[in-house]
Amino acid sequence: MPTLENPYLLKAGSVEKVIKECEGVYTFHVRTQEPAYPGQYNMLYAFGVGEAPITIASMGEGYMVHTVRAVGDVTRQIDQLKEGDYLYWRGPYGNRWEIERAYNKTLLIISGGLGLAATRWVFEEALNKPIKRLVHLYGSKDYDSLLYRYLYENWSSKAEFHITLDRPDPRWKGKVGLITELLKELELDEDTIVFTCGPDPMVKACVRILQEKGIPPSNIYASLERHMKCSVGTCGHCMIGPYFVCKDGPIFRYDLIREYFERKEV
Amino acid sequence: MESKGKGGGYLLSLEGIRELFDRLREKYRVIAPKLKDGLIAFSEVDNFESLPFGYKNVEAPGFYSLERSGGYFTYTHPYNSFKNFLHPPELALIKVKKEDGKLRFQVHIQEEALCLFDIRACDLSALKVLDLVFLHKNPHPDPYYAGLRKGLFVVAVNCTYATSTCFCSTMGTGPEVKEGYDLLITELSEGFLVEVGSKRGGEILEKVENKSDAERRHFKEKAQRLGETEAMMRVHFEREGLPERLYGKMDSAYWEHIEKRCVACTSCTQACPTCFCFDILERNNLELEESLRVRVWDSCFSPSFATVHRFNLRHSVHSRYRQWLMHKFAYWVDQFDCFGCVGCGRCITWCPVGIDIREEVRRIAYA
Repeated sequence: MPTLENPYLLKAGSVEKVIKECEGVYTFHVRTQEPAYPGQYNMLYAFGVGEAPITIASMGEGYMVHTVRAVGDVTRQIDQLKEGDYLYWRGPYGNRWEIERAYNKTLLIISGGLGLAATRWVFEEALNKPIKRLVHLYGSKDYDSLLYRYLYENWSSKAEFHITLDRPDPRWKGKVGLITELLKELELDEDTIVFTCGPDPMVKACVRILQEKGIPPSNIYASLERHMKCSVGTCGHCMIGPYFVCKDGPIFRYDLIREYFERKEV
Repeated sequence: MESKGKGGGYLLSLEGIRELFDRLREKYRVIAPKLKDGLIAFSEVDNFESLPFGYKNVEAPGFYSLERSGGYFTYTHPYNSFKNFLHPPELALIKVKKEDGKLRFQVHIQEEALCLFDIRACDLSALKVLDLVFLHKNPHPDPYYAGLRKGLFVVAVNCTYATSTCFCSTMGTGPEVKEGYDLLITELSEGFLVEVGSKRGGEILEKVENKSDAERRHFKEKAQRLGETEAMMRVHFEREGLPERLYGKMDSAYWEHIEKRCVACTSCTQACPTCFCFDILERNNLELEESLRVRVWDSCFSPSFATVHRFNLRHSVHSRYRQWLMHKFAYWVDQFDCFGCVGCGRCITWCPVGIDIREEVRRIAYA
């Protein structure tokens, strides 16, 4: 048997830039030459604490972008990183968004909260692909939680990019209400391809509306978040029905996952 | 069922088996059944006298005891499984050290020449299952498992007895050992039939002096003994089409019925020879300069197993039981092209409330 590559070995990259998105959410540009695809994720390591699966939010010349919200012990430690520090990680893991399916069609991206980090890269890529119509709906719980404000102007000039806030705010002049309201108003072709990432209830609610609009579940792709430890299909934590989210996902065509995703406690 | 091993067969006396054991001890770290705290346990064994010859394990749902019995390999499998040695309950993955502001990583992959002496058909099937999980059907084959597995020498033993919790015949894994061994022993009235399953099996047997060529009657008695063992078990359910049936019963009200008994103690998953789930923990020194990443067994019955942030996706105990049973008999087939259950019955014996998975499968899928 040949020597096997060790899936638990960590790589190091220096943090080149830190952007504070909002309270408790930071974006890091980390030096790397590692190839990856939109939709994949890395396991980010915090010394003495553990690892967390974090989507690759974007890729620039020689660096990758990670947006991390401090919700647990690992992410709280990662969010302390400063420019010049090292980030340790392993990856990339998981599958990618099947953007080819949206060529010459309408591509609708639906992002809820931090789910925008998982759709940002494929959205940026879609701007330069033969997509007939590109629509991106982004729902955020309030004004202070908005991510990537510095990119909206560019995005809005190139695609139909719409934001809605769950809660009104005097500083906000745009739409207020759940993302489902925004989705209901939208006129869509029945062969629209949909990429979505957000809280499970948001995804389920959006799928119902999309179906009412005649878009079949086989045209819908959802990126899921589950508990992960190994990220290589061996530890069992991320299982949903017969799938390992870590290696069969994180992106699933909705008709394949629906039965397990919509059933309680699977 | 009358079959001859690939490399022919020999008849050995007890002295011959002892000689074989001693030869293996020279080359390998031998893992074999041993009497320990009133149990027959897979342990590291240094001398032949430690084998629990002349004992038999009596098992029933939630019950285990040992009795004296005439003969030698008169027991079935040990209470624990070989899994403890190839996928140990605790295993260091990587040592992380802080040095000059950077992290340094040290990996030590243990490579061992292990010998499983006296492994039964159910466990040998489980070994094949774990090979699929960790190596052959894994896009990132596990180097730690591979290190412990690669030199493994397998001495299998055919069961001449079955307990009331054994159901290898239902799962199609036993009682006859058919493949995956270097040497295979069957206890007969005249001695021990030893069949050769590999080149190195033949080589080691070559050195054993106390042996003679097996004759037709020995293979005949082997078949007869295995037939008797098989007759000690009944077939509890139909394997064919079981996954499909279970997929159709995910909303059955019966799952909640199991919750009234299951205490989510995780005992079944620890005793199971194929349950592979693990957690990765950080073991830090007090100065926080060194941190060991340790892989430890986990269980889908643990309350935190499927927790994302503060949400536990499997809050109810019956949803965890459903996850476990569906994984063993349905999901596993999709994932690894085999069942995740080999019918060893350990989960039945070691369930503190005596939940009998054979009965639960039958009631859910076939009632």
